[in-house]
Amino acid sequence: MIRPLLRGAAHRVLAALAVLLGAAGLAFAALQLIPGDPVAIILGPATQASAQVQAAIRAEYGLDRPVLGQFLHYLGRLATGDLGRSYQLQRQVVDLIGDQLGPTAELALAALVLAVAISVGSAIATAGRRRGLKAVASGWELLAVSSPPFWVGILLLTVFSFTLRWFPVSGAEDFSALVLPALTLALPVAGVLSQVLREGLEAALAEPFAVTARARGLSRTAVRARHALRHAAVPLVTLTGWLTGSLLGGAVLVETVFGRPGIGALTLQAVTNKDMPLVIGLVLLSALVFVVISTLVDLLYLVVDPRLRTR
Amino acid sequence: MRRRRATAESSLLSRRAAALVCGLAFVLSACGGANAGPGTTASAPVSGGELTVAVDSEPVSFDVHVSPQDITGEILRHVVDSLVSVDADGRFTPWLASSWDVAPDLKSYTFHLRDGVKFTDGTPFDAAAVKANFDRIANPATKSQLAASLLGPYAGTEVVDPRTAKVSFTAPFAPFLQGASTPYLGFYSPKTLADNADKLGGGGAVEVGTGPFTFTEYTKGQNLVLTRNADYNWAPTGAAHTGAAYLDKLTVRFLSEDSVRVGALTSGQVQVARAISPVDVKNLEADQSVGLLKNDVPGGNYNIYLNASKAPFDDPLVRKAIQRGIDLDQAVKTVYFGQYKRAWSPLSPSTTGYDATLENSWPHDAAEAAKLLDQAGWTGKDADGYRTKNGARLVVKWPVMPPPYLREQRDVLGQAIQADLKKLGVEVVRDQPDIGTYIKQVYGGQTDFTDYSWNRFEPDVLWLFFNSASQPGKGGQNATFTQDAELDQLTESARGSADPAARAGAYAKVQRRATVDLALGTRSTRR
Repeated sequence: MIRPLLRGAAHRVLAALAVLLGAAGLAFAALQLIPGDPVAIILGPATQASAQVQAAIRAEYGLDRPVLGQFLHYLGRLATGDLGRSYQLQRQVVDLIGDQLGPTAELALAALVLAVAISVGSAIATAGRRRGLKAVASGWELLAVSSPPFWVGILLLTVFSFTLRWFPVSGAEDFSALVLPALTLALPVAGVLSQVLREGLEAALAEPFAVTARARGLSRTAVRARHALRHAAVPLVTLTGWLTGSLLGGAVLVETVFGRPGIGALTLQAVTNKDMPLVIGLVLLSALVFVVISTLVDLLYLVVDPRLRTR
Repeated sequence: MRRRRATAESSLLSRRAAALVCGLAFVLSACGGANAGPGTTASAPVSGGELTVAVDSEPVSFDVHVSPQDITGEILRHVVDSLVSVDADGRFTPWLASSWDVAPDLKSYTFHLRDGVKFTDGTPFDAAAVKANFDRIANPATKSQLAASLLGPYAGTEVVDPRTAKVSFTAPFAPFLQGASTPYLGFYSPKTLADNADKLGGGGAVEVGTGPFTFTEYTKGQNLVLTRNADYNWAPTGAAHTGAAYLDKLTVRFLSEDSVRVGALTSGQVQVARAISPVDVKNLEADQSVGLLKNDVPGGNYNIYLNASKAPFDDPLVRKAIQRGIDLDQAVKTVYFGQYKRAWSPLSPSTTGYDATLENSWPHDAAEAAKLLDQAGWTGKDADGYRTKNGARLVVKWPVMPPPYLREQRDVLGQAIQADLKKLGVEVVRDQPDIGTYIKQVYGGQTDFTDYSWNRFEPDVLWLFFNSASQPGKGGQNATFTQDAELDQLTESARGSADPAARAGAYAKVQRRATVDLALGTRSTRR
């Protein structure tokens, strides 16, 4: 009993390591493909750094070595757990990511909870009901999915922060500062999830078991919440896992608009400046997040669908 | 009235903190405060309180000796002091140096340091601290991107006695005092330099200076907090307020979105906002609770430099034609809602040495421009209406800077210029490459136009723009890519002259020569 479990876990860990190595290699290759001299990009166009200073920077980061040598050197250090130092920010990559991870995790989690709550609420309320109600629900979902988050963020700020003054504009100080950014990030995700969930609910409600449950005297809502929702939840779980990853990407815009610290803004800065150690550190982080989430999603399937537990 | 309220509000701060409002406000800033009723304007400043300032960009490095960024200097100005200060008329006044002697050959400056100045870690400020800081800046291992150039041909600092420091140069160097007045040549505690030199870029409590505030907290991507230095008692001579700052705490918030910064200001969540976009100015002017501060940035305007090293601009006639063929008055007025002034010189009007006689000397004249192009032999016309010469089209390559370097709607102003030149039969090709390709093309001299602004309160910026030793890609910015004997001689001699009148004369000549056909001052920078 225990042994296959351990073997399964070891298999997962090995696969995860392979994913991480692949991600680091791809990120390194992609950075090599970005045109331009790394030192010139680090310094930017308006620099007065002399040729001597430029040479010092090149030597310090080993950028004068052949590309393969640079990569192997980096991997060697990575194997000892050293992510290196950001070229541009002059701080340890581990510290930078450690500082910025908390606010982003908080934002992504809040957005995820909000998105799932909104979509479950909206889908249960509207699936299989009157046509008008459904049209309204589809309408907001379409609007939420197609509105640029940047614009939604500024709109929410203008109404709830600048005019009504209910929430502060920015900062990660307290819960009230989290509401608007989380909502901005959650809305498009909630739009997609509601659509999928309602489809699933309607399919489940058309199944014979729904009629049987009604015949046993359950109310319409109880049938939806207890029986149909469970059936509809499998695609929802799959999508939620995938969308959590996309939340990290969406965080870039939301963090910019709301002036929040976080991984998104850090990633943008790292990529723009071709800051190799930082970019790879961040890529490794997101690869890790994806590995963890897909593991969680696999486990959640077992919870949601008893048919999968037999093996 | 409104303007006055803004100034009155800033006088609630100490003079150094006023330099925050003025420091963070050498650009278009707005101050607001829901409580700032008309009755409060004349009240005397009181000690205590907090202020939050919203700024548009965040320092990449907080090490003033390394960073070339304006924002780094503006923030660290509250933490580090300098040897000298500059008053409103551009004269140098004592600060950490109570007096100084300049050698007649301009190759050394002897500073007599003020007594009783202490870094916030308790270390006394003395000649050894001056030497430690300047030596660190000049050391290539520090990788200074701006401060080292302000030290110019630095030879070394001699500790004559604890209160006297003699700074020497290998060549006459007149711009030194101006450089010494900037935060980039400000002083860190020798103790922090010894213990934390590699951590200064990261901000926070390691930034130990003698300034009116200490750097207490920094959250990347969000804000930083400066706290009053209660012992501060060495403000520059002539400062409106001496002694410790009035404010207990100064918070700087990073809000990169223009509309968010303005919204935070008008809803009272921040009291000062930096870098107001011209499109918001009208609304803010109508808002009774907000005052606007407008200041022209000294140094180089937002200029376009013409690459005279290759065709088509190797022909002075074509360069002149381009210069007269653009209706800058109209373009600047339209794009910036009348908030920026068009420029007539590469130097901004608020810089010492600005040559006002250039104003209106090269007005828009499409007919004259067309005549010049005819003279230069660009007489053919192709199917698209562009001028040709020997079958080749008249093309100007001018890449657009990629974000985040692109700002102030410079791309939109560029469209207006492109449209004017199209009328003249000149095709302006504007693609937007990534920054690596941009630097390679533009700083490698492969393009025809280069555009940038350069902020410094010293006409020596003209050396940077036009001296042939100032080579792009090697720390220079001379985007004309040409060696002009007259410009070399003038910028070099002004650098080595102690006589203000002689310097002004030389710089006036530089501006006139450059304006003939090498640079187009487009507009003042006033963000």
